[in-house]
Amino acid sequence: MTELIRIKDAEKYYQLEKTEMPALTGINLVIGSGERVCLMGPSGSGKSTLLNVIGCVDTLSAGSIVIAGLDAATLKDAQLSEFRNRTMGFVFQSFNLISVLSVFENVEYPLLLQRLPRHERAARVEEVLDRVGLKDFQRRGPERLSGGQRQRVAIARALVTRPRLVIADEPTAALDHETGRAIMELMVEMNRSAGSTLIFATHDPAVARYAARLVIMSDGRIVDDREAA
Amino acid sequence: MTNVMIAWRSILRHARRTIVTVSALFVGLAGMVVFQGFLGQMMQGFRDGTILSGVGHLQVAANPQYFVDGEFNPFAYGFKDSAAVARTLGKQPGVTAAFPSTGFVAVAGLGDQSATLLVKAYPADRIYFAPSSGTIIPPSDRFNLGTLVDGSTVKPGERDCLVIGETAARILGAKVGNVVTLMGILPGGNLQGRDFTISGIFSSPGRDKSFAYTDYATASDFIGMKEPPVLMVIAREVRAVPAIAASLPRSISFRTWKDLATLYVQVSTILGSFLTVIRAIILLVTLFILGNSMNRTVLERMREWGTLRTLGTKKQNILLVILWEGCLQGLLGAAAGISLGFGVSAIIDAAGGLAYHNGAQTYAVMVRPGLDSVWLNLVPAVLTAGLAAVLPGLRAVRLTPSQCLREA
Repeated sequence: MTELIRIKDAEKYYQLEKTEMPALTGINLVIGSGERVCLMGPSGSGKSTLLNVIGCVDTLSAGSIVIAGLDAATLKDAQLSEFRNRTMGFVFQSFNLISVLSVFENVEYPLLLQRLPRHERAARVEEVLDRVGLKDFQRRGPERLSGGQRQRVAIARALVTRPRLVIADEPTAALDHETGRAIMELMVEMNRSAGSTLIFATHDPAVARYAARLVIMSDGRIVDDREAA
Repeated sequence: MTNVMIAWRSILRHARRTIVTVSALFVGLAGMVVFQGFLGQMMQGFRDGTILSGVGHLQVAANPQYFVDGEFNPFAYGFKDSAAVARTLGKQPGVTAAFPSTGFVAVAGLGDQSATLLVKAYPADRIYFAPSSGTIIPPSDRFNLGTLVDGSTVKPGERDCLVIGETAARILGAKVGNVVTLMGILPGGNLQGRDFTISGIFSSPGRDKSFAYTDYATASDFIGMKEPPVLMVIAREVRAVPAIAASLPRSISFRTWKDLATLYVQVSTILGSFLTVIRAIILLVTLFILGNSMNRTVLERMREWGTLRTLGTKKQNILLVILWEGCLQGLLGAAAGISLGFGVSAIIDAAGGLAYHNGAQTYAVMVRPGLDSVWLNLVPAVLTAGLAAVLPGLRAVRLTPSQCLREA
């Protein structure tokens, strides 16, 4: 398995007035291509912060992170944007669909940033919507979808660029148990078929079951890193 | 394209807020367009009235010094061959009429009363006085010198007749048909006296105390000048004046109506500045309202900015979305306001315009905003709205994507 992510001595502090609050402390982590990793821990343990750092939407206070051979700290903001767009897909707890865009347009958006031709965009959006079972909902606005359907759209949007890395922060937290299970099964199935790396965060052991590797966090530190049972 | 689409749909999605936000622009510019239309017509009437009150579209003199002191001392500036110059002028495209004019200062006496008069003279067929009542459509090829309150104007071929201002007539105790004696001072200090019959009495604010009019032949004979010091030119339209002026031989000195109508130019400049100030106030109010609204919008949509950034949208594209939202709101408000302004103007016009009373006469002032009202209001409105979105936009892109998502 080739290495995709290497985090070394990572520290992250948040400035709260005059005091620095540590969010990540002494993080060392290597994740390979195609892995399915769950970051698990209670609220405030640093899962989301670590996901943000891996997703290059936040920076480290100290240490380094290399993704697909690129040191994130060396990239400028515009380069990071492009890097995220081409390398990563994101699934959020609150779906984060763009409310003024239809299902089709939401999924198409990352491809527009890549300036792909219209016919290619359409083909890829239709294919991925078909896979998440929403081909018949293309013209709908997100507000006319159920929570589970919205998360499927978010998954389709994350996968339409065929990213090497999919990052999901509490992807089932806003869903009922049954829908959450269906969403996780879909993500795992799509991760397997695409061969991409999936990193998701949860505090729910039932969701963590879908990972092949568990990284347990507490107070901003990795306290355990093991294969899932 | 995507930036514009997101911006457009966002302002439609928050329709109520958009309406409230652009209402200041909408109402302000609607009023502005009507006001501009009204003032434009007023000023056009003022301009045309000034031109035909004796200024002419162009005045042509043999000597440029005439325009300094020639009105009171015409003797020094006579043409050598005014008829030839008048013929040349008459051939210019856009010229309706070119005719001689002169004038003199005289003391008028009637019985034991006297008054000083500035007598202006034009060919009788170029002199017009409006009737004191009824609908007035002044001719465009003659000078409209006031309202005839008694008697008649000077008729072609009639000699030694005078139309005198009603205040001067009251001072002299003169009535139509009375004979007044004019004593004019000629070059070298010579005095020239002659009896003139008062054929009519006119009123014209500011003029009827000291002005009197007679026909050109009488005046030139009275002052002993065979050639006039100045030729008056009436053009078919004001727009033709620059072309006429440009076509004149270099040997001819001239002044356009704009050079001579100083009061009109002053009033026009003041009103133009006044309109600019009103427009600036409207835009300033828009700047604050829209800026405030955009600020709220940006804060409320932090999740959207964070998501777009996370998906790979660059900062400048986020900024563009927000700038587009500002500009589009400006465009919507301005377009709606300008349309309403034109609509209200059309309704006022269809109802016969706004009545303006001047003594016994009633004029209808139309409200006809020009096409320049569109871009004069639209462009600053859109730019101001875009400006209002700059700070909120910068606020949205100042944060990292994760900060945006955390603040949502």
